[in-house]
Amino acid sequence: MAQTTVTSEALVDREPPSRWAQFRATLGAWGFMAPAGVLVLVFFFIPVIILFVVSMTDLSSSNFSEPWTFIGLENYARLFRDKFFPKILTNTFRYVILTLSFFNVGLALVLALLTTHIERRAGFFFRMMWLLPRITPSVVYILMWRRIAHQPPFGIINQLLSPFGVEPRYWLFERPWLFVILVNGFVGASFGMILFSSAIEAIPRDYITAAKVDGASTLQIIRDITIPMIRWPLLFVTTYQTLSLLTSFEYILLLTEGGPGLFTTEVWALTAYKRALKTYFGHNQWGYGAAWGFILVFIGIVLAFVYLRVFRFNELVQEPKIDVL
Amino acid sequence: MLKKILALLALALVLMLIAAQCAGPAPTPEKVIETVVVEKEKEVVVTQEVEVVVTKEVEVIKEVEVPVGGELVHLVARCKAAPPHEEGRCNNLVAAVGAANAALAEKGDDRRIELEIIQDNADWGDYKTEFELASDAGEAPDIICSGHEHIGDWAPAGYIIDVTDMLGDYPEFDDVIDSLWNATEWNGRRWGVPQDAEARPLYFNKDKLRELGWSDEEIESLPDRIAKGEFTWEDMLDTAEEAVKAGVVAEGNGWWHRPKNGPDFLYYYYAAGGEIQGEGDALIFDKEAALKVYKMLYSATQERGILSPTRLDGDWTGWHTGWTNGDVLFLFGGSWNWAEWFSNYVADRGGEDYLWEHFGFAAIPAMKEGTGKPITLTHPLVYMISSQSEAPDLAMLLISKATTPQLNTDYAIASGHLGILKSQADYAPYTSNKFLSQVLPLLQFTTFLPNSPYWSAWSEAYYLGIQSVESGSLTPEDALDVVVDQLQNELGDNVIIR
Repeated sequence: MAQTTVTSEALVDREPPSRWAQFRATLGAWGFMAPAGVLVLVFFFIPVIILFVVSMTDLSSSNFSEPWTFIGLENYARLFRDKFFPKILTNTFRYVILTLSFFNVGLALVLALLTTHIERRAGFFFRMMWLLPRITPSVVYILMWRRIAHQPPFGIINQLLSPFGVEPRYWLFERPWLFVILVNGFVGASFGMILFSSAIEAIPRDYITAAKVDGASTLQIIRDITIPMIRWPLLFVTTYQTLSLLTSFEYILLLTEGGPGLFTTEVWALTAYKRALKTYFGHNQWGYGAAWGFILVFIGIVLAFVYLRVFRFNELVQEPKIDVL
Repeated sequence: MLKKILALLALALVLMLIAAQCAGPAPTPEKVIETVVVEKEKEVVVTQEVEVVVTKEVEVIKEVEVPVGGELVHLVARCKAAPPHEEGRCNNLVAAVGAANAALAEKGDDRRIELEIIQDNADWGDYKTEFELASDAGEAPDIICSGHEHIGDWAPAGYIIDVTDMLGDYPEFDDVIDSLWNATEWNGRRWGVPQDAEARPLYFNKDKLRELGWSDEEIESLPDRIAKGEFTWEDMLDTAEEAVKAGVVAEGNGWWHRPKNGPDFLYYYYAAGGEIQGEGDALIFDKEAALKVYKMLYSATQERGILSPTRLDGDWTGWHTGWTNGDVLFLFGGSWNWAEWFSNYVADRGGEDYLWEHFGFAAIPAMKEGTGKPITLTHPLVYMISSQSEAPDLAMLLISKATTPQLNTDYAIASGHLGILKSQADYAPYTSNKFLSQVLPLLQFTTFLPNSPYWSAWSEAYYLGIQSVESGSLTPEDALDVVVDQLQNELGDNVIIR
């Protein structure tokens, strides 16, 4: 049997490949990455740079047609002087953490486990039903919720609870956070549910069978086999949904407009939107709104790096060790 | 390898080109091509294809005769209008095309006007942003009908033209009520032509007042007593509290104001003695007046149960429904609401007759601790001409022909707005309309919004205080501190706090 032996001397003596050779060797990879790279450049890096530049101006409705006036970091100073800045920041983290933990990851995992542990077609049907809110137009979806939690004498909750002697209330305004999280969570959970379900179904049946033969209970199988084997989808969904929730605001805008009262459910992205594009009398402050938006981008980038480091995403993409010849 | 990549890139490029072709151009308005057959009256008239552009709610020009060698000028008008009662805003321009073209023919001008209108009921903020972005993209409509306060932003930004020197060329404008021109001014010049006016009255529920023990005479004399300052804002709150306590109306239904920010809240501040217009564009914030407003609203929501803490829920449908169902005692609304209610809410219960039977209206009562005078606010809409219009003289001609007693009265009757012309005081169709003739006297108490680029930020900050006290988040004093802080942060030297 012919065998090729490469000695350590030979490796040392070999000329290191030229830069051109190295570049040629990776040309294919660059080619394949180029379309995605161009997209990221055009739709992320360039907009972020524009956002930052606009945030250094006083661009608004009343001077939109004039050349830009640069005012340095004044918009950022103004933002940090805003009395409601800490409240809006707290609201944002509250919204992200609660929606993520209870719904986008928590409920998604429960749904995925439930639907993969029942009859396959029934599970498929249930997941399909759960996707309905995601494919419902946002305005229609929020109108439904507003009607559900509407003020007395209206409101489906009031109609359902009144036979039990519960006094009718304006549920949406009495429990705004509950509804903000429910509304976002029901839609958000479907993303994780689909990913987790497919990951669970991809676990080789041999592991489950072997565990059952060894007398493991369903709970033990989930804890010791299923969850460890879907840790990558879990980490991916956590990261992706954190960043997604940070920048989402449309349901809150339609449901409570950040109220009731004083910034009760106002999140950072909603403030940026309102400053830049939505006031009752339409005086848009694009420069100031851009400053709010840029801070959000900054928080998002920092969180993305933290997740990449903490969850060691590089392990996910490293070359498989067993295939080395 | 390199060849493969190049081949792949070339393939991708071809696919992108094909996709771009398949995607086609951006959606365009539906176009109807009509051939207009013109009877041969004069030799100079020729048959010409006229393109009638149909967009959203549309009225279109049916026939335009263009002289030989003449030019058909395409104008675009943009209006915000609640359907169907306010659609006269743009429809009156359509109706004026014939008169405008006839005037051109009479002058020997060979140009003719062809008009496209874009009309919907967008939010004010979105509507305004749309015009600004369109202006920046070089696609602004020739004529825009919008709130007069937008002049404060659009005039300094150069989006609209100064029409002061053009007005004298059109005798129709001499008929416009003088005080309404004030609303079109910025920097001592006029930037638009009034399109409509309105009053913002106090509506009262006659049935609920009767249940409370009021005699018919007391009910019928209420507008008069308010006008004389005998029945004040404080009396209204006392009556509302009495109604809540007596169970005549549910808690929170003694008095309703609008469910979101808007011009109305400024007259609370005016009624409490506040001033707003400072030197130039700068605005004034009178702490004492604002505090009176905040205390009054705090007490009405948090202590007396007159006004619901969730009143600012942004739900217009619930607001109209609650009122027209007779659940509420007093309501601060607009004169246009009258038309909205009989067209859309009580049409099946007798329409306008039903409203007359169950509801009445008056000026907003005087605030005893403020100016002591009844008040209302007028928010005229104005036609403005874009600085990008290539034919501003034709746009102005068209506006002048829409500013006639007949067209404006048709619009006023349909929409519940007030007339803008002096001649309407003697114009039978206008004077014979019961609602308009009874609302008109409210104008003696009227006030306006300021035309300042800082009005929007001022209003947002002031409204923040209203939200704070009504929801119970802050006491009136704390709310005032927050508002002052916000105003100084937002407007700096452009607001005078006193």
